[in-house]
Amino acid sequence: MKADEQTLCRLMALAQKGDRQAYAALLAECMIWLRRYFRNRIAPAQLDDLVQEVLLSLHRKLASYDPAQPFLPWLAAIARYRWIDQLRRGYRLREVPVDDHGHSADDVEQEVASARISLERLFEQLPEGQARAIRLVKIDGQSVSEAARLCGQSESLVKVNIHRGLRRLSALVEKAG
Amino acid sequence: MRDTDSRLIETLVGQLESVRPIKWRHGALLTLAALGATIFVVVLLMGRRDQLLIGEFSALFVITQGLLLVLGASAASAVVAMANPQVGASHDGPKWALATVALLPLTAIVTAVAQGAGPAYPAMEDLHCAAAGCAFSGLIAVTLFLWLRRGAPVLLEKAGFNLGVAAGSLGVFAHGLSCPLETMTHLGIWHVLPVVVTALLGRLVVPRLLRW
Repeated sequence: MKADEQTLCRLMALAQKGDRQAYAALLAECMIWLRRYFRNRIAPAQLDDLVQEVLLSLHRKLASYDPAQPFLPWLAAIARYRWIDQLRRGYRLREVPVDDHGHSADDVEQEVASARISLERLFEQLPEGQARAIRLVKIDGQSVSEAARLCGQSESLVKVNIHRGLRRLSALVEKAG
Repeated sequence: MRDTDSRLIETLVGQLESVRPIKWRHGALLTLAALGATIFVVVLLMGRRDQLLIGEFSALFVITQGLLLVLGASAASAVVAMANPQVGASHDGPKWALATVALLPLTAIVTAVAQGAGPAYPAMEDLHCAAAGCAFSGLIAVTLFLWLRRGAPVLLEKAGFNLGVAAGSLGVFAHGLSCPLETMTHLGIWHVLPVVVTALLGRLVVPRLLRW
């Protein structure tokens, strides 16, 4: 089942009242949604950790959802916040296949882009140099020297681009596309 | 679904307790109460300015107090809203209110220069007002900070800055009700300086305390 916005809102409102069945259903749906949301935007080896961290954050900050507001933009804001945190941490490459839960890439792009909350939209706000440096080092797992060679830039410039790019992403967490 | 995923969901569901959703209006009321309490403390400690009750005050005093109140309200409103994160939310209101308040020191400097006034050292009353404005921002700052800690702010630097602006401007507004000085220099410089100080403090200190 792929839950829609209204269903998620309803489940969340019930969860805030302590309904465990609704909460279990909500978490399962969020897990699927988050896997699709982060796909290709985080190193595959880090995907599971990131999804679990977002769910833990959702649990800790359950009260911060206002039932009068839409649910997915709230979840996306928390997801982006955790994603940037994860990008800031070091990268250790391990080849682990991504579980796509049977959803095609087109499904994901269409659904998330239509909600104006995608990570790609966030990347589009960055200057090309910063976005590329973050993609190469933090997502694709290249070393700084490899990224410098691919970009035709010095290593220090790549580091500066990553640093500035992540700072800028932090300031854009709530920015819609 | 993987085993680890199922286990995580099971654990989180097991820990579920009902929660009271954080709503903007609750935060706004709380901030209003903190402002009321601050005004009460100001009157208690600094005394009441009797001229206010009989309508003896200048237009400049009203404009300054009004601008500070609008700035404080817009910044506090943004801070309260930041506890509920939302992609697509905009918190740019305080930016314009801040630009308007910046006209006060600008006017003070321009008029002083136009009148040929040389560099002036601050009087004791000026420094006292600036210090008191900072001090009376404390309760509002703590209230907004605790509100944000309950919520899930995702723009920490902006939240810290807005918190400083809100606390500073509302603190100065409260203290302004007891201040008898109404010159352009005093109101334009020394009633705005605390806002700059608290905004910088908020921007530098609050984000690291808010991280979650």
